[in-house]
Parts: sequence; C-alpha cells; structure tokens
Amino acid sequence: MSVLSVQQLTKHYGAIRALDNVSFDVPQGSVFGILGPNGSGKTTLLGISMDIIKPTSGQFYWMGQPGTSEQQRRQIGTLLETPNFYPYLSGYRNLEIVAAIKGRGQNDIDRVLQVVNLHQRKDSKFATFSLGMKQRLAIASTLLGDPDILVFDEPTNGLDPAGIAEIRTLIKELNQQGKTIIMASHILDEVERVCTHVAIIQKGILKTIGTVQDVLNTSSVDNTVSVDVSAEDINHLKNVLSSLNGVKQVIDTATGLTLICEEGIKAAAINQHCFNNGIVLEQLNLKKKSLETRFLEITGTKSDR
Amino acid sequence: MQNLLQIEWLKLKNYRAFKVFGIIYLLGIIAVLFISYTMYTNIPPKEIQAMLGDPFAFPKLWNTMGWLNGWLLYFPGWLIITLCVNEFTFKTHRQNIIDGWSRKEFIQAKLLLILAFTVVITIINILSVFIMGLVTGSGFSFTGFENVAYMFLQTLCYMFFAFFLAILLRKSGLAAGIFFMFGLIFEFLLSALINYKMDAKPVGYLLPLQASDELLPLPFLKQMNQGVPEAYVLVIACLLYCSLYIFFAFRKFTKDDL
Repeated sequence: MSVLSVQQLTKHYGAIRALDNVSFDVPQGSVFGILGPNGSGKTTLLGISMDIIKPTSGQFYWMGQPGTSEQQRRQIGTLLETPNFYPYLSGYRNLEIVAAIKGRGQNDIDRVLQVVNLHQRKDSKFATFSLGMKQRLAIASTLLGDPDILVFDEPTNGLDPAGIAEIRTLIKELNQQGKTIIMASHILDEVERVCTHVAIIQKGILKTIGTVQDVLNTSSVDNTVSVDVSAEDINHLKNVLSSLNGVKQVIDTATGLTLICEEGIKAAAINQHCFNNGIVLEQLNLKKKSLETRFLEITGTKSDR
Repeated sequence: MQNLLQIEWLKLKNYRAFKVFGIIYLLGIIAVLFISYTMYTNIPPKEIQAMLGDPFAFPKLWNTMGWLNGWLLYFPGWLIITLCVNEFTFKTHRQNIIDGWSRKEFIQAKLLLILAFTVVITIINILSVFIMGLVTGSGFSFTGFENVAYMFLQTLCYMFFAFFLAILLRKSGLAAGIFFMFGLIFEFLLSALINYKMDAKPVGYLLPLQASDELLPLPFLKQMNQGVPEAYVLVIACLLYCSLYIFFAFRKFTKDDL
C-alpha cells in the first residue's frame, strides 16, 4: 500500500495554477523526493496533504484513507516551509505544546532535542535561535513520538555544511529504521544523495517520476552527456558552440556554459572547434550524467517562477 | 475540551505581555472603582449626590460595577486580538493543524480561552464589589445581583467581537483599530443617528456592543434613556450576536487556506 497517494490534485490561485493535475504514489519505506524550482508547487502539494490548503480539485489518501484526519496527522512528523514556533517560549516549552497536541507524553522531548544537537540550548527562547537552530528545533519536533512517516519541506534550509551533513545522515538513518520520508527540495544534490524515489515538478506540472536510478537513466533527449566549458568571451563561445555538430543544447551557468551533447562527442573535437574559431578554452569538463543535467533537460534553463 | 484549554494555557503562561497586562488589568478593575468612588465623594456638591442616589452602596453598586466593566473591556479585548493574531503572525495556526489539531479544535480552543477569561473577569468584578461594599459599609445586598449575569454576557459580547475581528482580518492593527473605533466612537454615533435622527428606536439600542451596554446603563442616567428594550430582548440580541461571531469565525477558519 502507498503511504501517500495523490490523484489529479489541482490548485488554482486565481489565474495561477499552483498545481495542475498531479498524481503519484509514495511507496512504503522510500525516501521520496519532490524536486522542483522555487515556486513550483512543492509546498502547496504538501500543504494540501496536511489540510492547511484546500485543493481546487483532486483527492489524496494517507495509508489508503481519503483526505487527512487529525488522528492521522498526529502520527506523521511534518516540517512545512518554515519552523513555526512561539518566539517568546523556549525550545523545550515549544515542544511541550507540540507533544500535547500530538497527545504524546513529555518524556520524548529530551531525546529528540539530543538527536538534533540542541539539548544544551533547550531553555533559550526560540526568538534567540539562529536560522539553523530554528530548523533543528523544527526537525526535532517532527521526531516527537517516533512517527513512521515524516514529511520534510526543505529540511536543510538555513543549516551550515556540517548541519546539512548531519540532517542527511539522520534522514538515511530514519529510512533504515523503516520509516517513510517525503522530502521536498530544490537542491538536486540533496535529492540525489538522500532519496530513493523522485518526482520532478515544475510550474505545478509533474514532469517525471520514478526511482532516482530510473530518472537518471531514462533520458528524454536520448543518451546525452553534458560538458562544462568556459572562456573569456562567453557570448562568442556560445555562438561558436551552437553551430558545432553533436551539440543539442547550450545552457548558461554561473561559471560558463553547460553543453548537452550527443553521447559520441569527444572533448578534443570541442577544443579543436573552439581553437579554430579563435577561442582558447579556460575549462573543458566532460561529465557523467547527474540528476542536475536531467533536471535541466526536464525543466529548461530559465529559472521559472 | 479540557485538553484544548490546557494547551492554550501552555501558550500563555510564559508570555510576559499576557502576565504583565493581566495583572495590571485585574488590579485596574479595583483601582478604577476606587478612583471613581473618590471622585464621586469629593467633587459633586451634596445636593447632586443626593439626587444621584448612592451608586457606590448596595444595591446600586452592582450596576455601577457593570457600567465600569463595559469601559474596561477594551483591554482584555485587545489582548484577545493580540493572542489570535499572534498565531497568524507566527504561523503557529498552521503548525497546530499540522501537528494534529483539526481546524475546528483550533477555534474551539480559543473559544474556551475566551470563556475562561470571561469567568475570571466576572469573578474579579464580584470581588471588587465586595471590597467596595466593605469600604463604604453600606450593608451587603444581593438585590441587583442579576447585573453580574449581565456583566458576564457583556464580557462575552466584547471578547467574541474582538475574536471575530481577529480571525476575519488576521492583522492586529486593523482588528484593534476597528474594535476601538467602532466600540468607542462609531457605534455611539450610529446609535444616536438611528434612534434620534432616523427615529428608529429601539434599533439603535440593539447594535452589537450597545445591546450589552444597555443592560448596564449608568445608574443615574437610567431614566433619561427612553425606549430601551426590555432586558430579555437585549439578552437575546447579545446571544444572537455571539452566535453569529462564532459561526462566521468557524466558517472562515474551516473553509479558507491557512
């Protein structure tokens, strides 16, 4: 049975379609990544599944039951969008409220604070916490009562590199204990490292879904490789490479260009072509296909909002 | 039910603004009663005092306290607005639902809190009357005790009105602004306009907060207000308003995106 099943879910905000006919199933025991650019509808989707946003149409099922009941939500640990706590209360007292709403005893609070390394600051007011500490407290609160299903919306938001690594390890550990984790993220690397399954959504439309392996291996543009290049005059480089045989797509990146090429392409050929056209390359890097390239293939190159 | 109220208490008990404000307000009830008593005994000449009857002695004291209560209710009303709008500002209204309250339970918890506030306010009012009665030594009397029931109803009307504005508008400035402006200025003008200019008595007495205020008019001005409906009509109007506030708050909170 799927932990969460979403069927033809649609949400309109006036003329804007935040979600358009999205359907998928989250298998039990998976780490299910919902990947999409900012504003693609990830939070809307999770918000609907938690009854804080009303869908325009469509259904969803938690453990086969239609909709969401308060009893069910008490069995699910959810972090949605931002850590929401009472700023004038300490971390500990905030968790007291969560535990009381969930109908759990107070004896689990110390444990979850230790899991996220926040125990020594448990009596400080939430308002004095750094962004990373707020995020840790939010994750601690999802762990209260040791639920079998966890929903994380951007779980590593605001954390420093060490914190990010800790949380990713934590998610993997939770999964190894048999828990199902649904995780929304715009960080490709994170999804690639942590998730077993991925659904890619853009502008509210489900673009692709499957295991991370499947999504990586099936290519819409069949069998491509990506190549990072850069040179002093990027515009000239772009013109020159667009005309090269075997180059399917040229994408602007922060450090230069990423080329989506046919599989047979040789680095030497690219280099030669540039040199012939009066360009000396500063970088030339043939990459193994990653989720990032797949993601860019699927969603296009412009940042869509 | 009890559990909902306990959780509301967890949110409140370490909120400094609530503690400071609550103590000042509760002490303020007694203080205002004493200040007005001092003014009454010192300022008007003896003849006028005789005309007014003794509003600070039993049995009129119950009525006087009720009238003062109507003015003081803006403070706990403002507190209710703050507490409700806080939830929206901190987005804890979402988190409470996510963590496992139903949308209905969220509203129920706030209604129970208001009920608890109202009980406490009424008890403090009664205690204040006792203390004042001891001071004036006018001999204790339960005559006029129905005013306590009116006070309770008046407090509910004010609190639910404030709550309704907060849930509807979600902004503390806007909700508090309308609460104060309507209660202190516009309702008074509107009431006078309807009653005297449009000659549509008693409609002007039945406006949302006015209806409960009319249950507890200024003791010595009672005779001047003409055409005030019978108490039971006012009570029904108050209960009707309270039901409407609750109904629309539930509707708004259970139907909208949070």
